Formats: sequence, C-alpha cells, structure tokens
Amino acid sequence: MKTFTLNGIIGGILIAVLLATAALGMVWTPFDPMKLSFTARLAAPSAAHLLGTDEFGRDELSRLMVGAKASVWIGFLTVSFATICGTLIGLVSGYARGWVDGVIMAINNALLAFPGILLALGLLAVFGANQYGIIFALGIAYTPSMARVVRGAVLSLREREFIEASRVMGNGELFTMFRHVLPNCLTPITVLATSMFGWAILSESALSFLGLGVPPPAPTWGNMLAAGRPFIQQAVWLGLFPGLCIALTLLGINLLGDALRDRLDPRMRGLK
Amino acid sequence: MTTETLLSVRGLSLEVARTSHKVVNDISFDIASGEIFGIVGESGSGKTLATRALISLLPQAIQVTGGSISYKGRDVLGLNAGQLRRLRGAEVGVVFQEPMTSLNPSMTIGRQLEEGLILHTKFSPDERRARILEMLRRVGIRDPEGALGAYPHEFSGGMRQRIMLASVMLLKPALLIADEPTTALDAVIQRDVMELMVELTRAEGTAVLLISHDLPMVARYTSRIVVMEKGSIVEHGRTEDLLEAPQHHYTKKLLSSLPFRGEPRMVDMSKAPMVSAKNIVVDYPGRKSLFRKAKAKRALHGVSIDIHEGEVVALVGGSGSGKTTLGRTIAGLVRENEGEIRFQGRARDEDWQDYRMNCQMVFQDPYSSLDPRMTILALVEEALRLVPNLDAAAKRKRTLETLEEVGLDASYASRYPHELSGGQRQRVAIARAMARRPRFLIADEPVSALDVTVRAQVLDLFSDLQKRYGFSCLFISHDLGVVEQVADRVVVMQDGRIIEEGDRDAIFDRPKESYTRRLLSAIPALDHNATGGVSLKWRFDN
Repeated sequence: MKTFTLNGIIGGILIAVLLATAALGMVWTPFDPMKLSFTARLAAPSAAHLLGTDEFGRDELSRLMVGAKASVWIGFLTVSFATICGTLIGLVSGYARGWVDGVIMAINNALLAFPGILLALGLLAVFGANQYGIIFALGIAYTPSMARVVRGAVLSLREREFIEASRVMGNGELFTMFRHVLPNCLTPITVLATSMFGWAILSESALSFLGLGVPPPAPTWGNMLAAGRPFIQQAVWLGLFPGLCIALTLLGINLLGDALRDRLDPRMRGLK
Repeated sequence: MTTETLLSVRGLSLEVARTSHKVVNDISFDIASGEIFGIVGESGSGKTLATRALISLLPQAIQVTGGSISYKGRDVLGLNAGQLRRLRGAEVGVVFQEPMTSLNPSMTIGRQLEEGLILHTKFSPDERRARILEMLRRVGIRDPEGALGAYPHEFSGGMRQRIMLASVMLLKPALLIADEPTTALDAVIQRDVMELMVELTRAEGTAVLLISHDLPMVARYTSRIVVMEKGSIVEHGRTEDLLEAPQHHYTKKLLSSLPFRGEPRMVDMSKAPMVSAKNIVVDYPGRKSLFRKAKAKRALHGVSIDIHEGEVVALVGGSGSGKTTLGRTIAGLVRENEGEIRFQGRARDEDWQDYRMNCQMVFQDPYSSLDPRMTILALVEEALRLVPNLDAAAKRKRTLETLEEVGLDASYASRYPHELSGGQRQRVAIARAMARRPRFLIADEPVSALDVTVRAQVLDLFSDLQKRYGFSCLFISHDLGVVEQVADRVVVMQDGRIIEEGDRDAIFDRPKESYTRRLLSAIPALDHNATGGVSLKWRFDN
C-alpha cells in the first residue's frame, strides 16, 4: 500500500525546505540581512549575491531566509488562532443550537460581512502595526469562516445515528462532542486551515505592502515584495523571488494539506 | 401459448472495464409481451446492471463484453444514440427505486409528466394536459389539477412513486422496467403501489420486468422468475415451480431465509412489567416564524405500553405511525410532554445512570450508527467506558468476548466500519448494545437495511443472544414477516395511537382491526415442504 501520494511527497519536500530555510535563517545567513552597501545597489544575481541585492544593497537571499521565519511564524500562529477559536465557537454553536446558536451566528455573520482584510486593517489600527498585532488581527478576521464551516459540519453530524448512540450509552455532551463530533469535522477543518495558511501569508504581504505590516527594516516576504515594486523595471528579481517563495509555500501547503486530510480519514486509507 | 417474444437476452456478459472484473456472466432470458417477469437477487448479484444494459444506461466504467439483446427483433446494442432515445421512454419505461430522488425537485409535476409526451408524441398542449390529468386520476392522485403545479417534495414517498408510474405509463410503453420499485416504502403502501402497477400495465398490455431482492413480493405478481447470484442466473422457471421445488442451493437458501413463525414461548406475565410507559404524549414543536408559531404536531396521543421480563414486544405500523417516536421516547432521546416511564418499578427519571446501564438501543442504519473514525474495538469498548467496577483489562476482555458472541473474531477488532459489510456492521452495533449486558433493549428496524440472507443470520443471532441473556426487547419494525419470527407480543400503531395489541399468534391469525389486516396482507404465510420449497399463502387476499 502506498502511504503517501506523489502530491503529498512534493508538498512535504517544499514545506521541509521552507522550514529548514527558516531555521537556518535564524542562525546563519550568507550576509547580514540588514547591512547596507551602496556599492552593490540593485545588483543582478551573481556568484557573490545568489539572488541579487535590493535598492539599499542588502543581500536578497539573506533577507528571504530571515523573512521566511517571520512569514511562517505569522501564518502558523494566525491559522492556529483562527482554527482553535473558530472550531470551539462552531462546535458550541452547532451542538447547542437554540438561542446560543442564534447569538453566536448573528455576531459571526456580522463579522463575515466585512472583507477580512478590512477587518484586519481596523483591528491593526487598535492593536498597533507589529508582528503580534497582525497575528491577532488576521486571526480574528479568519475565525468567523472557520466557525461557520465547523458549525455546518456539526449540524449535519448531530443528526447521525452514532451521535444518538453515544447519548444512549449515557455519554455526556462534552464527551460526545470531543469524541464523536470533532474528529468527524477534521476533514473540512484541515482543508480550510491549509488554505487559510495561504491567505494569512498573502494578507501579511498585503498589509506590509500597505505599510501596516511588520515595520521595516525587518524583512518579511510581503514587505520585500512591496519594497521591490518601484524597481520592477530595473531589478525584476526583487519582485520575482519573494513572489516565488510565497507561491511555492502555498503550493506545498495545499499539497501537504490534501495528503494529510486523506491520511487522517480512515475511510480514505486502503483505497486505490 | 402463442404470445410473441418482446425482449430476448442471449449470453449477456458485463465487466468493469478497468479491472476486467466480471459483474454479469452469460445471462439469457426472454420476456413475452404483456408478461410480468421477475429477477430476484441480493445486492451485488448484478441484477440492476443487467437491466440497465437493456436500455444502454450502463455506467461508463462497465462495458458489454458479449451476448446480444434484441427488442422486437432489433438489436439494442447496435442502436445509435438517436434510436436509443426513441426506444427509451416511448417503448421501454423505467421506474427506479428511490422516489425521493427520481423526480426532479425543482420542476413541477405537470412539467415533468409533459416532458415525455413532448418528446415522443405529437399531441397538442390541450391533449397533453387532458392525458396527464386522466393518468394522475388513474394512479390515485386526489387532486390532479392541483398536482400539476405542485413540486415533488409536497408528496409522500408512496405518492411520488405513483406519479413516477404515471409519467412512465403516459407513453404506453411495451415494456416497463421496475427496479426495486417499492423497497423504500412501508409494507402497506408497497402493496398499494404494486397493485396499481399491475392493474395499469395489464390494462395497457405492457410487459413488466420486476427486479427485487424480495422474493415473496416478486412471486406474488410474476409468472416467471430468474434468480441471480454473483452475476449469473442460477435458476430460471415458472414462479410456482421455482418456489415449490427449487433446484439450486442458492434458491433454497433464499427461501429458507424467509422469516418463519417460531414456537410460542412462555413469558411470565404475572410479575410487574420491567418497562412501563403510561399515557405518553409527544408533540413536535411547529416551526417558528417571525409573527406566529405554527401549531405543534402531536406525534403520540397518550400511548401506554408494558414490557415484561424476558419478553420481546414488537411495535408495528406504517411510516408516520409514531412507532419510532415511541421507541426514542422510551430510550430518552425524545422528551415526553406528558406521561410517565417506569423501569423496574421506579420512575425512569429518578435514576438515569441505572437506566442507561440497563437500557440500550440498536439503530436501523448500520451505515450511520457507527462512528466512521473509530475502530470496531474502540466502538464496542466505548460502551463499557461508564460501567463501574470494571478495570481496563476486564473491559478489553468483555469487548473481545462480546465481539466473539456476535460472530466477529479478533481480526475484526482493528478494522474500521467502512471495511465491513452491512450485516457485519449491524453485528457490531448489536455487540455495542450487548456489551453492557442490558436488561432491556430497544431495536429500531434493526434488519430493515439488510439483504435477505444476512437478515436471517442477524435475526438468528438476535434470538440466540436473547435466549442466553434473557433481556426484554422492544422491537420496532414495519416488516411483519420479521416480527412474526421474533415477537412474543405485537402492538400495532397507527397515527400516533395504539389500535390493537395481543399475543403474536392472536394478532397474526385473528386480527380485529382492518389496518392490521392490511399490514398482514403485505406478507405471505409460508408453508415449507420437504424438498426445501415453500408455498406462499397471502392473508386476507381479495
């Protein structure tokens, strides 16, 4: 039996490379990512600077390596925050129904009515533009969609006979919720969480691009992309490499997410 | 007999294209015009695929590898798409199993019925309307004018199947293919729909190919039958001959799997009942809207039922009779609005923990009653989680023991529900209910979703366990055949009330209410003869 598909392996390799790069970036980079050099401004990729330099002569590769850590960290924390909060809210809402559900869903729908990025912008204005402000703001912005998806799954699950069987066995509501309802929601949660990881990295880029993200000079992929925009005519690598990093990371996460979802579901095992 | 052959199948073989797995193997049969012909087989026997091939409606993955199908002398397999479309509907009509999904939910009945007439006839709109109205009247729709503008969800399953039948018979096809036409309906409605189908097709001279797993039902209406097993025809003959003197062991097995009446058992009725429900009233709340609250719908109108120690009480009735609601209320899944439930002499609500330890339930659908993410071992062991005075090792031992008892050896313990067949899953569900050694079991249609031979095995298992542990049981079913085999006492429900109750033999032999008679008329009384055959007697046949 094949345990992983080709897609899963590709996704795994991409994510492993990303994590390794981020880890390496924390201890060693080819150049100091903050060091300015006016002699080597906007230098094209060469043997010395593998991915070229930016408008201040800083080494692009070093900055990408350091930025990887920020991007991954922001994506991971944002998704964890949204997934944990959204799942709990959705579980309670779908399982309790009645007025609890009514109140939670009213708030949830109101939040969903705002575009996520707008909501995040508003929240950032309150929390201040720094790394943890972004995580908090994006996490809150993404929580409603997770809550909604989980609630939908719970609503359809709670009518199933195995939930009633659990009640007949005398299991408490909490036990039933965590033993039978939650594990069966994992498929939609995994799917949404992996795409959320992508959105989070993109949104962080967008917010940095708008100047509300991680403040310079600290590099993230998003603010590097933003900073490279004015020079796209002379130095295409400044936009190309951060963009490529974001795209490959998203691809890796989606491939790995699909593979993980199939692995976690016993029904999918042994098929083929 | 000089009737002409309408459809002739010769050596038809089908296989899954990708794996070359044979699903139908060299089958041949003829259908004469005006004849009612039956194909009987369990799931996986290939009966549905074989009939799909007759009108070239096979799924893409299946291909014809041999044989011929000729309809009125024309080779069906050689027809092009246009010719096939003219054949389907106009010449050969099909009624599928599931009335809930075979009508388009977003089209009115009128438009759906008109579709076929527009495609295959040259009638004017007024003529079409007149014909549709007449046909709806013939299939027993009360308000045909109103039905034209109505949508499928406004009708019950039985009514939908009548409408489906009307849409097919409008075109006066020469052959009607009915694939499990009544399997999704309850016993009484099932019989009404079958009678209607026979009456309509006889009037129009339409031949019927009736496909079902239900041998007695097919035998009742057909003149000839083929029995299929694993893609092959194992027996072929006139209906009476096949029933009375079956040749093939599979046919014998099918016949011996039919439910039969067991010996009456002695149940001690002198002691106080173990479970006693008094004057139970259950209302389902109406839907709330912005301005008013719709009136609650009363599902149970003050129902009382007693179940004694070791007694199996069957609760029977059609769909909507309230039998499932009563079972769920006694189980505590539905709150009663009025009334009291007592267990072993105490009010049930006084000691829920004791009640949960001693009252367990087996559900109807083995596909949805087991958590798909848990192994069989975990599923059964979970039932023991709350049992006091039992350490982990004892729980594991009891779990494996119980699995053994339901006929699943230790190799099943690590499997997941989707890896098991329907019958095996229902065994797991029974094991889960039995692991606590309950004094009282509620079984809601426990064998309705199973094949005939599997059903017989599960019923045997149920009887064995009941004998060994002597639990009391409330057995809910619409299938009186099954009830006749397992029940000591029968309670008949209709429209949320108990209309008749008594000993099994009294209810089956001397029913008082006309509704009970109608229920009984849907199932045959069996006489087994020495050669392994049976003769079917239909009760209260008119």
